Amino acid sequence: METPIKSKVFEQFNEATRTLLNPVLKDWKKQGGKILGYFCSTVPEELITAAGLTPFRMRATGSTSTEMSDAFFSSINCSFPRHCFNLALTGEFKFLDGVICINSCDHVRRIYDNWIRFVPDTQFVEVMSLPRKTDAAQVAWYREEISLLRGKLEKHFGVKISDKTLWKAIRLHNETRRLQKQLYELRKKEKPPITGSEMLAVMVAGTAMPKAQYNNMLRELLNELSGVEGTGDHRARLMIVGGILDDPAYVKVIEDQGGLVVTDSLCFGTRIMWVEVDESLSDPLEALARYYVADRPSCPRFYGEHDNRTKYIIDMCREFKCDGVIGERLMFCDSWLVEHYMLGQDLKAAGIPMLKLDREYITGGVGQLRTRVQAFLETIGR
Amino acid sequence: MALIDKHPEMARYISELEWFKFLREQTMALIEIPEMQLQVKTLDSLLSMYSRIIDAVENKKPFLASYYCLAPELYTAMNLPYYMVMQTPFLASSVPYLLQDIDAAEEMGLGNDLCTAIRLSIYYVEANLSPLPTCALNLLYPCDGAPLLHEVIKRNKRWRNIPMFAPDPPYYADERSLHYFASELRKMVKFIEKHTGRKLDLDELKKALDNSNQMFRLWDEYNQLRRNVPSPHGWGIGGPQCFSQAWVYQAGTPEGVDWFKKLVEIAELNVKAGVGPVPEEKIRLFWFDLLPFGWVFEFLPWLESEWGAVMVMDMFANYPYTMIDTSSEEQMWLGLAKRNLFDSPMVRQARGVADNFATDIKRIVKDYKIDVVIWPGHMGHKDGSATVGIMRETCRDLNVPFIHLGLDLFDKRYSTPDQIKDKISQFFRAMGLG
Repeated sequence: METPIKSKVFEQFNEATRTLLNPVLKDWKKQGGKILGYFCSTVPEELITAAGLTPFRMRATGSTSTEMSDAFFSSINCSFPRHCFNLALTGEFKFLDGVICINSCDHVRRIYDNWIRFVPDTQFVEVMSLPRKTDAAQVAWYREEISLLRGKLEKHFGVKISDKTLWKAIRLHNETRRLQKQLYELRKKEKPPITGSEMLAVMVAGTAMPKAQYNNMLRELLNELSGVEGTGDHRARLMIVGGILDDPAYVKVIEDQGGLVVTDSLCFGTRIMWVEVDESLSDPLEALARYYVADRPSCPRFYGEHDNRTKYIIDMCREFKCDGVIGERLMFCDSWLVEHYMLGQDLKAAGIPMLKLDREYITGGVGQLRTRVQAFLETIGR
Repeated sequence: MALIDKHPEMARYISELEWFKFLREQTMALIEIPEMQLQVKTLDSLLSMYSRIIDAVENKKPFLASYYCLAPELYTAMNLPYYMVMQTPFLASSVPYLLQDIDAAEEMGLGNDLCTAIRLSIYYVEANLSPLPTCALNLLYPCDGAPLLHEVIKRNKRWRNIPMFAPDPPYYADERSLHYFASELRKMVKFIEKHTGRKLDLDELKKALDNSNQMFRLWDEYNQLRRNVPSPHGWGIGGPQCFSQAWVYQAGTPEGVDWFKKLVEIAELNVKAGVGPVPEEKIRLFWFDLLPFGWVFEFLPWLESEWGAVMVMDMFANYPYTMIDTSSEEQMWLGLAKRNLFDSPMVRQARGVADNFATDIKRIVKDYKIDVVIWPGHMGHKDGSATVGIMRETCRDLNVPFIHLGLDLFDKRYSTPDQIKDKISQFFRAMGLG
């Protein structure tokens, strides 16, 4: 499925998605800029921007093997941390000036333990403690976590992160969210000018370059796409729901079967931008803690929020006129397995068909994926 | 039968009770052996726990669903019986219908790579085979599986209206975390009081904690005895029974103290006589996980008979025995927070950063003269399996052999006992052990 996007700016997004150290980041480094990697979208990017660094969401793009990391992880571990850690061991992340880990899941949290022991040349490696619940006490805990991280960043990088610079970063990141949301709005059209795989490339790129520059590029793309009509040769409109999915090629396989992905609940998707950080509060740390713990659409990492997650997905399905939902899950991910188990029942009750797909981090098994998607589209009468 | 008709959710619970009665009868045949006398006491306390829940259901008395690592001394002090939703995999996985239930869980759409203990527990809840408590204390650690199980419980139509509280676990092991978790435990007690009508009397809590401290002291004393060569006991008695008494069946009771006294007494006699579980102890091993409860009898006796390999220590048997200071209310809360979050078995290793995987190996290998460390690599213990490199490096530094098996502690079809035996035999031979 092809759309008319042939622009230079889109090519830059694509390039940023296909590589780790993309040309924009290379320029940033050349100018003396620093880059800080972070695992999981619950790490407050705004703090990194406020420190004058570029936040880089960790991924293992380009990895072809887990040969070295297999000595540290095992075959029952998710392929995402295995590929990431393999790249860390082979030096592919040397362009980073530090890494922030978090206890997001049982697999990813162990990257921290292995990194501090076996990748000794990284100067700044920290781990954050993310609560499991979303109540006031947990927001307060995470506020303190962000505050502690602020102190560590200031000390290590020799910078001052004032409330003023933090608010400035929050406004900048909120602007990113608004611009991304405008792109999503275009996908509500009967013939969206941007496909799901293209949108994913735009979203991934946003986690791999300075936000100010990214926002300018987003504006350019929005200008190019306004008034453009996409192709309408799809068989069904789909929503995709799951964890870390940073490979547009995976979505393209789905779309090539005629299932146009028009929205999502992904951590490279709407979960990081559908809601904004509340700028009306007086304390920027409180605003960030509330956002990351309680306000934004959650993932199954948070306990007690399943009903809200289901409501969010059903609402999005209706808003984007979806015919069905694809639940994607990385093999051995307990969180998404159980979430999809419950979500499948909820969606069935709501009359929304769902296809559950297990996958490895590096897209493979394309033939099987095609067959499953084709069968699903037929099942839903498309 | 009448109870099951009225409360179908009690079916598995009652089956387990019957199964344990049967095991008790079998054990009675060996009552002349001192260790078997203790096993009978263990089974009696277990049967009593099951009976209290059944009595509570029959007579509409309050009871809790909770966990060993959610401060069970509090429930003793409040005279509230509790059971674990994960009871079957933890306590009763020798039941004859276990594999059938595992298959039923898979058929529900829970796949086969989610921890079998979690899958089974979800199945029991979804199939209405778990007692419905007055209120539930949900567990959010040590792994991803625990909060997910409780998310399913929270959503289940039969459980939806049962009041629930889940203390939130911080990731670190520092003072800030301690105070945060103590505050969560205080909230938990207020919640229990509200929904059961029982009040926490601090004098009763002190009594329970004093008993509990005494149990942990005796447990420590017992473990010191296991340092002897030969070890006075192997896998047959030790960690799992101590754990079940101190953390589950008899948490904070004087009966629990008596049980530990008896255990120490028996072990002392063995040490004085220089006897252990095998005629000749050839290999002293550290099994770094739960025991393979689903197929324990097909595997662990073989280790002893074939290789003279004695399980001197396991994950649930040894950890720092921090006493709780009962001199003030504040200290009791902090002590409970520390014991449950930083010390309790499995939680201690799996909840936070991986340091304890390394430090436990170092300490236990040295203290217990360990010849080999076995990481079973249970298919559900994903954080541990992502720590396998750290464990291997630690053992390399200690110059002690380390093996990672890859199995399911509950489902013997994942890696069969024969496959595991073969793997171990090859490893022992290659390492020149035994």
